[in-house]
Amino acid sequence: MTNSPSSKSSSHWLKLGILVYWTLFWLFNVVDKVIGGAHFLWVGRDRFAQFQKYFASAGLDAPWVADAGLVVAAALEIFALLFCAGSVIHFMKRREDMARIWFFVGVLLTMATFTLFSIGDHLFGDRFELLEHTLFWFITLVSWVAFTRLKDVHLPTLSQHKPVGMIVVAALLVLATSASIFRHNDRFFHRRTSAVDAVQVGDHLYKVSFPFLGGSTVFEESIRLFKETHPGETIDHIYTVPNPLRLKKADALIFYISTEAS
Amino acid sequence: MREQAWLRGAILVFWTLFWGLSVVDKIVPDVTHLWVGKDFFALFVKFFASLKLKDPMFATVALAGVSGLEAVNFTLYGTALVALLRGDAGRAETWFYRGIVTSLGLFVLFSMGDQVFGDRFQLLEHGLFWMVLLASWIAFKFFAVDEEHSGGLGSVRTVLLLGALLTLGATWSIRDFSSQTFHNVDKPVLGVEVVEGMWKFDFPFLADKLVWEQTVNAFVEEHPELKVTYIYTGPSELNSKKKTHLLLYVFTERR
Repeated sequence: MTNSPSSKSSSHWLKLGILVYWTLFWLFNVVDKVIGGAHFLWVGRDRFAQFQKYFASAGLDAPWVADAGLVVAAALEIFALLFCAGSVIHFMKRREDMARIWFFVGVLLTMATFTLFSIGDHLFGDRFELLEHTLFWFITLVSWVAFTRLKDVHLPTLSQHKPVGMIVVAALLVLATSASIFRHNDRFFHRRTSAVDAVQVGDHLYKVSFPFLGGSTVFEESIRLFKETHPGETIDHIYTVPNPLRLKKADALIFYISTEAS
Repeated sequence: MREQAWLRGAILVFWTLFWGLSVVDKIVPDVTHLWVGKDFFALFVKFFASLKLKDPMFATVALAGVSGLEAVNFTLYGTALVALLRGDAGRAETWFYRGIVTSLGLFVLFSMGDQVFGDRFQLLEHGLFWMVLLASWIAFKFFAVDEEHSGGLGSVRTVLLLGALLTLGATWSIRDFSSQTFHNVDKPVLGVEVVEGMWKFDFPFLADKLVWEQTVNAFVEEHPELKVTYIYTGPSELNSKKKTHLLLYVFTERR
């Protein structure tokens, strides 16, 4: 193994990876704020609904309060994006000192954003989001430490011998997984929409076990099928089996239809 | 720009606010105007009740003890932050170290409780907070011995202008979306008859119990010929991930 001084150091790509990650992170967050709502090819998160519910729970239900909260968050995110993007440009142009200082401002804005979100999480009592934002705050800090601490070292260059065995094994695995996925798609995609038969498990009691692919269409089709195949019965009650009664990950949605004679 | 001081400040501000707001959450134990917080008293009562310790005094004493430790933590971080703002880095470091040690101890205590009460999610949560605290100290101290980097950003006029324009654009978009969707807060949802006698209601994200009441009342008014026999709340498995908020099915029969 030899070193190749002419190639870019391993740190170069990792540093670029850190900058690109945060640029894309904020870019997509900003796009999510600008789009708002679910559309074709973009679902995102309805932040307005989230903020509105948060503030309404604290007694501030006027929409402008949620709007103002979102605008402040969006402004912080936009400036974090611009400084991270600027850092990428400086880095690509090999102005590493400028890249560092621009990324540092991006990091400070990112930490400020997550600190602000954490204040909201305390105020609104959302402990899961508090953990989430603290972890992002931490990842930001670690990203900065990694960016500034990565030393410029060159990886040893491998000999010219081609790793034929590894390529063959990888190709076989890619083929096997792809074939398996396509075959599964051919055999089972109909479960996304097909009705599920109800199985009688007691007097006027029927069980419907959903496939994992099942959604609202399967539910509605299953009820339609049940009504067609049991014209003499009226649905009295539907009982959804709660999670603790299911076999961990092996059971999808299960519900029972309780009926009475029409 | 003095990287070391800014980063230390950011770390101290985060943890001072973290512990300060945790203390406020204990002082304001219930939902009030401008504060929701988490009902730790209810949580502690349930935890101790699961151990067959149903006397509320156990939960009260435990919560008071934990709150006291959090208050001590807050004062330690607050003292460190004040020292940093006054330019006394050595004093800030000493007080931050004391804060870190006591908070690590507090999270160890929480983790023991999580194991005793069998709450594995909270165990993970407290384990992660413990790790973030430790890493915060390493980053704080790490930079204390680092060579100082300082430099200018160069001209940022373009960035400020672009940022202001983008913020204006985002503001317009947010206001527009808000005005288009805010009526969902109290507007009844329209039902669709998906199977004979079964109506589907796709609730928007903004909807809450008020919308549910409006929806059922509006449906009954619009369909006097129908009698509602049963209402089924679609479980989360029926939702198409993030796109659907809540599905409600109303079963009817003719009067």
